Amino acid sequence: MWILEAKKIHKVYGNKLNKQEVLKGIDLGVSKGEFVGIMGPSGSGKTTLLNVLSSIDRVSQGTIDIEGQEFTGMKEKQLAEFRKHHLGFIFQDYNLLDTLTVKENVLLPLSITSIPKHEAHLKFEQIARELGIYELKDKYPSEISGGQKQRTSAARAFVHDPSIIFADEPTGALDSKSASDLLGKLSDMNSKHQATIIMVTHDPFAASYCSRVIFIRDGQIYTQLNKGDESRQSFFNDIIKTQGVLGGVQP
Amino acid sequence: MSLNYIIFRNLRKNLKNYYLYVFALIFSVALYFSFVTLQYDPSMDEVAESTKGAAAIGASSVLLIVIVGIFLLYANTIFIKRRSKEIGLFQLIGLTKGRIFGILSAENCILYFGSMVIGILIGFLGSKLILMILFKIIGVDVITKLYFSPMALVQTLIVFAVMYLLIMLMNYTFIRAQSILSLFRVSSTTEQQIKKLSVGQILMGILGIALIGFGYALSARLFSGAALDMQQLMYTMILILFSVILGTYLFYKGSVSFLFNLIRKSKKGYLSINEVLSLSSIMFRMKSNALLLTIITTVSALAIGMLSLSYISYYSAEAQAKESLPEDFSFAQVDVKNRFVAELDHKQIPYEEKHRQPLYIEIDATKVMNDSQSEDRLFSSVLSDSMVDNIDLKPGEVVFMGYGNVIQQLISIQEKGPIVLHGLKQAIDQQLIGTTKQGVLPVYYTQGTPVAVVDESVYAKLAQDLDPKLQKEGATDYYGVHITDSGQEENAYAVFADLKLKAPSFSQIEFRNNQRTSMGLIMFIVGFLGLTFLITSGCILYFKQMNESEEEKSNYTILRKLGFTQGNLLRGIQFKQLFNFGIPLVVGLSHSYFAVKSGWFFFGTELATPTVIVMIVYTLLYSIFGLLSIWYYKRVIKESL
Repeated sequence: MWILEAKKIHKVYGNKLNKQEVLKGIDLGVSKGEFVGIMGPSGSGKTTLLNVLSSIDRVSQGTIDIEGQEFTGMKEKQLAEFRKHHLGFIFQDYNLLDTLTVKENVLLPLSITSIPKHEAHLKFEQIARELGIYELKDKYPSEISGGQKQRTSAARAFVHDPSIIFADEPTGALDSKSASDLLGKLSDMNSKHQATIIMVTHDPFAASYCSRVIFIRDGQIYTQLNKGDESRQSFFNDIIKTQGVLGGVQP
Repeated sequence: MSLNYIIFRNLRKNLKNYYLYVFALIFSVALYFSFVTLQYDPSMDEVAESTKGAAAIGASSVLLIVIVGIFLLYANTIFIKRRSKEIGLFQLIGLTKGRIFGILSAENCILYFGSMVIGILIGFLGSKLILMILFKIIGVDVITKLYFSPMALVQTLIVFAVMYLLIMLMNYTFIRAQSILSLFRVSSTTEQQIKKLSVGQILMGILGIALIGFGYALSARLFSGAALDMQQLMYTMILILFSVILGTYLFYKGSVSFLFNLIRKSKKGYLSINEVLSLSSIMFRMKSNALLLTIITTVSALAIGMLSLSYISYYSAEAQAKESLPEDFSFAQVDVKNRFVAELDHKQIPYEEKHRQPLYIEIDATKVMNDSQSEDRLFSSVLSDSMVDNIDLKPGEVVFMGYGNVIQQLISIQEKGPIVLHGLKQAIDQQLIGTTKQGVLPVYYTQGTPVAVVDESVYAKLAQDLDPKLQKEGATDYYGVHITDSGQEENAYAVFADLKLKAPSFSQIEFRNNQRTSMGLIMFIVGFLGLTFLITSGCILYFKQMNESEEEKSNYTILRKLGFTQGNLLRGIQFKQLFNFGIPLVVGLSHSYFAVKSGWFFFGTELATPTVIVMIVYTLLYSIFGLLSIWYYKRVIKESL
């Protein structure tokens, strides 16, 4: 039983005369509690894939459903409603609102739902403590470090218990210490709360935290690697090898 | 791609973005041109004769230049900042600074002088309309026709050409001073670093509100408290102005953030979308715009206040004429009156005559005056109840008549209480039983003090015992002529005007018309200055919002990704604009309300209606800019995902 299922999705940019097909029929299934990585060289279409999977962009062809709800045909308003309840996002550049404190940023997704206030505060405390940002709750984004910002962004993604969390290069702007810190937290959340995470990355080290890595090339799925019972180190080596074959950049 | 092509492309793009700037420019030129045309218009001569209209218009056209100049220069700083990235890019691809300056100048030149031609055309057509409005307001019957004044054209061209040079100079210094790197950074640096509220700011916020409150309190007591002499009055006024303006500045600098922060604190981190978009953004931005907002507020308050006062004056011209001149025509000399009455008989205009003989005495009214410190006696005129219609008093009773708005503020008297009338030798104890605004003698007789009406017997007693020093030369008889048929009043006035009677003789209609003419002209000029200011300040706020919306575009992207709909965001923005435009408006309205309230009674008899009308009209016109900015935000939100 898939929590997310994509069937034959195509994405075409441009007009009739000047077409560019970025996604060329991708089939993909993600089951509950998986931590999936998407890798691929620049221009392979991985960010586009994430965008269409997360309903930010529309597919040209094909269907996607999350928890059995097909959303490719939905109207803008329904889509927003859908995102609100089912999806969480972590971006490379954090995307925090500068004018809000850490706590306000994290609680933002809850403000459109009908969760009672005290429950929201409890929820914040729990998530913030797990991600180690509780002490920062009254600070503004300009007053905290990049790693802390990204953990805030992660807390915001988890706070409303979405079905799936999409992460676009979450470690892209972080130093290696903050990056492994964040990835550790993400995989904790993944194992503890059975949170489903789909992460786009070009960093094999980040990908090694995943339970499965999907490689994309020229808009198609090239291959997949399952971690299974392997240690992270050997999974990391597998990823490097596959990336080499794929023609990605060697680290 | 040639340079000309680039210029052309930029121009088209800019026209779309800056339509409001172009509109404001056209509007300013049109207004200025028609104003100056008015100054040179031969049909103004008649108005000019009676009211020095041309001089007033000339003086206000200077003020108009100042307002328009500040506005255009300010708008230019916003626009050049918006384009700094483009300028940086041109430099990056190897254009020299001189060349870029050339492009900008050429572009501005087309934009600027294009708008000027349109503006002058509109101004030319509009000047007739404006003249018609003016004549309608001040009640002059002249047929207006289109009049083209070459002098006005030259003057307009010179003024705006100088403005253009100033703008170019500004652009030149801007380009010269900036490096490529800083150009790329100009638009990305937000106006304000986001930090926590400091204790200093909280103090500043409290101080701001306190200062405004202090100023209001002072203004309320300005004329009603203890009588101040001219110098004290001036110092108090300066103190009020200073505390209110400084208070307004601190209000924007600290109070708004402080209040919003309190609200935010109470939410404990759980903000709704409206609060996210409004509270947090305004909190930080208002601070950095404090100076600009203070100027906008102060001048709006000034415009609203002056408009209200002149409208009060215009509005209550008739009532005031009735109050200060009790009958349609008043004469001090019997032979002058007789000449007039004879002429009325001749023209068969029905009338009634009144004859009153005021006595001048001193009254000890300390027991009924609310806050009298002085032991001085009140100089007053006395009439017998038989000389006044509809009043019959018992001996010992006194009524104060002609106790109008101005005198109420200066001398505050209770409705009832004991007073003493002092003749030369004897003092008569009397009981005050009431006061009324209705006048019985013109100011010429009363010198502004209320008229004491007493029983006939008391009047007779006082007449025997007069202090000769208090009696006025030639002002001992008042002859009033009341035209019984109100349809004939104008005819009677024509008779009055034809006879060219010797002063002192007064006509209610003449008084009213004079009031209307002079106040009408002032109202007209203040109205147009107010309108210009309204439009320029509205435009400035709109440009600010335009910038802000683009700086916050990334926020909307985030929020929409999180699942907020366009509708959610737009509602939040509407809420935010309510504050952004509402706060300066409400503060301005409140300032002008207190300013008007402190001295309105010098201008007329009615406070509420004219002031409310002026405020509503101002608010409506002002909200147009709020709506325009929401419309702009809508577009930005739509494009953000």
